[in-house]
Amino acid sequence: MKIVIIGNGPAAIAAAETIRGQDRSCEIVMLSRESVPFYSPCPLAEYVEGSVPKDHLFLRDPAFYSRSGIDIRYGRPVIRIEPQTRQVWLAGNEAVAYDQLLIASGSKAFVPPIPGLATAKGVFELKTLDDAEGILERIKTARRAVVIGSGFIGLEAVQALIRQGLDVTLLEAQAQVLPAMLDREMAAIVQQRLTAHGVQVHTGCGAERILENENGVRAVMAGGCEIPCELVICAAGVRADLSILEGSGIASNRGILVNDHMQTNVDGVFAAGDIIERPDVPEKYRVLPIWPNAVSTGRIAAWNMLGIATRHPGLEAVNVVRVFDTPIASFGTQTAEDCLRWQDGNGAVRKVLLQEGRVIGGQLIGEINGTGVLHEMMKKGIAAERFGEALAHPGFSYAHFMQPSRAVKWA
Amino acid sequence: MEKTVSKTIFTVVENCVACKSCEIACAVEHSCSKTLAGAILETPLPQRRITVEGVGAYSYPSRCQHCSDASCITACPTGAMQRDGNTDAVFSDHDRCIGCWMCVVVCPFGGVTADPVNKKALKCDRCPERTAKGEAPACVSACPTGALLFLTPEEFAAQRRQATAHAAVCGESTTKLNGMDILRSLKGAN
Ligand SMILES: Cc1cc2nc3c(=O)[nH]c(=O)nc-3n(C[C@H](O)[C@H](O)[C@H](O)COP(=O)(O)OP(=O)(O)OC[C@H]3O[C@@H](n4cnc5c(N)ncnc54)[C@H](O)[C@@H]3O)c2cc1C
Ligand code: SF4
Ligand code: SF4
Repeated sequence: MKIVIIGNGPAAIAAAETIRGQDRSCEIVMLSRESVPFYSPCPLAEYVEGSVPKDHLFLRDPAFYSRSGIDIRYGRPVIRIEPQTRQVWLAGNEAVAYDQLLIASGSKAFVPPIPGLATAKGVFELKTLDDAEGILERIKTARRAVVIGSGFIGLEAVQALIRQGLDVTLLEAQAQVLPAMLDREMAAIVQQRLTAHGVQVHTGCGAERILENENGVRAVMAGGCEIPCELVICAAGVRADLSILEGSGIASNRGILVNDHMQTNVDGVFAAGDIIERPDVPEKYRVLPIWPNAVSTGRIAAWNMLGIATRHPGLEAVNVVRVFDTPIASFGTQTAEDCLRWQDGNGAVRKVLLQEGRVIGGQLIGEINGTGVLHEMMKKGIAAERFGEALAHPGFSYAHFMQPSRAVKWA
Repeated sequence: MEKTVSKTIFTVVENCVACKSCEIACAVEHSCSKTLAGAILETPLPQRRITVEGVGAYSYPSRCQHCSDASCITACPTGAMQRDGNTDAVFSDHDRCIGCWMCVVVCPFGGVTADPVNKKALKCDRCPERTAKGEAPACVSACPTGALLFLTPEEFAAQRRQATAHAAVCGESTTKLNGMDILRSLKGAN
C-alpha cells in the first residue's frame, strides 16, 4: 500500500509515526511545500524575540525520515488532487499516485485585501520559519513596526518586537483585543498590559493602505492617519488553505469536512490538522486550529487509513497565550446565562461560564492553573452546579470530584 | 522484548490527613541542595509538584497521573513534554520548555502547573534520581499515613484485596487506621 501525505507539520508527522508504529511495509511519501525538516511554528515568536535557539524549533533528529522509512520530498507543493485516478499533482506537472491520501497541509495566514499588504517589501506573516527569518533580517534595520491583528499570533509578535527594542503599534479592526478569546472586560485588562509595556494599541481601527518607498514599507494608513514604520506583520487570523481542493470533489466549508474517523466525502482521502472542519459537532468544536488537535487528528487519520476503525473523541476547544508573561487562557464560548467570577486584586481574573448548570466556557487571566480541569468538565458535560462559587477559584481542582466518595468513607 | 511493568505512585485517598509532608519533601527533592535547610534559602524558592487540596474536611494529594495516553504530551508543541523510555514517567525537559502553558490547559487532572517565575511547566517527574537508586519518590517516602504508595499495579491490587478482605472478615474496624481515625485519635489524646 502506498500512503501519500500532503504536508510536513505536526498532523502529517503524527500520522506518519502512527502508521510506521503499526506497519513497517507500506510505502509513505510526504510532500512538503517547505524545504526544511519538521519544525514547530509555535515558538516562532520566541525565536524572533531571541529566547529560543533555532535548533530547538526542529522536533526530530536529522535521521528521522530515513530511519522511519518516510520518503520526504521537500519543496514539492501539491496544486491539485485527482481522486478519480488516485493521483495528486505537483507544480511542474508531476503526478504522484496514492492508495490512501492524507491532506495535512494546514492553514495559511489570512491577508485582508488592503492595497500593498500582499506585495510590499517589509510586510510579513508569522506562520512559517521563512517568515520568521524574513522578520529577523528586516529588524536589523527597522525601528518601528505595525502589527495588524490582535489574535494570539499578533500578540506574540508584538511582544517579540518590543523585546527586540522596536516601537510597536497594534491595529485591531474590532472594538477589542483578542476578540476570539475574550469578552470586552477581560480584553481591557490585556490592553492595559500592552499599553503598560509601551505598545500603541488602536482598537476599532483597521489598516487601510500600505505606503511604500524604495526600501519597501514606510507607513501604514489607518483610521485616516499615517503610522510610520519599516516593518509590518500581518496577523489577521488563519484560514484553512483550500486552494488545492479545486475540482477534486472533496467537500469543504471553512475547512475540509471530515467525520470522526477523519474521512472526507471521497473514498481513500483523509484530512487532519488545521485544515479540517467537523460539521457533526456543536459550533465551538468545529474548527480549532491548534497544535493538540493537529497531533490527535493526525493519529486518528492514520489508524483509519490502515483500516483500523478509530473514532476521534472530539477537538480541544482551548487556547492560551502569554502577553508580557501574563498567561491568558480561554476555552469554549464567551457568552452565557451565568458567569462565576474570581479575582485577586492583583490583576488576576477568572471567569467560568455556565449554561443550564454546565460549564460551557471560561476566560482566565493571570492565574490559569486548573484550566484543564474546567475544560474537561465542559467536554464531558459534567453537572457543575453543586460546586458553586468554588468553580472559578484557582483552588478548584480534581479533589472536588473526590468529595462524594470521601463523604461515604468518612461518615 | 518484554517490558517489565514499572512501579508507579498510588494514592489511598482515605489515608490523607492533609499534613503536607509530601509537598515539602517534593520541593526539597527538586531543590539544588536537596536538604530542607538549604532549600528554604534558595532563590527562586524550589517549587513542589504535588498539592494537597482540601475541600471541607476532605483532602487529596493532587499530582500528575502519568497517563498512558497523556494529553500534555500531545499538546506540547516543543517536544519538552515526553515519556521516559525506561520508567514510563511523563516529564518536561526544562531546557526545551518555553512556558506556552498548552499542557496546563489540557491536563484534565490539573497535573501541570505554570511556574510564572521560571516560565517552565512544573509537574511530578516521579523522582528519577531516587528511583534509579531503588528508592521511592520523595512524596511517598515522606507520607506518614500510607496515603501515597510506590508499587507496581499488581502489588497495589494485591494490597487492596488484602485490606478489603480483612475489613470483610474483621468488620469495618480494621487494624489499619484511615486518615479520619488518625485525626480523631489525635483529638482524643489531648
Ligand atoms: C506563530 C504561531 C504560534 C502558534 N502557537 C501555538 C500555541 O501556542 N499553541 C497551539 O496549540 N498552537 C499554536 N499554533 C498553531 C499550531 O502551530 C498549528 O495548529 C499546527 O501547526 C497545525 O498543524 P498542521 O500540521 O495542521 O499544519 P501546519 O503546521 O501548518 O503544517 C502544514 C504543512 O503542510 C505544508 N504544506 C502547505 N501547503 C502545502 C501544499 N500545497 N503542498 C504540500 N505541502 C504543503 C507546509 O509546508 C507544512 O509543512 C501557532 C501557530 C503559529 C503560526
Ligand atoms: S500532566 Fe496531566 S495529562 Fe499529563 S500525564 Fe500527568 S495527569 Fe496525564
Ligand atoms: S509549557 Fe512547556 S511542557 Fe508545557 S506544553 Fe508548553 S513547552 Fe510543553
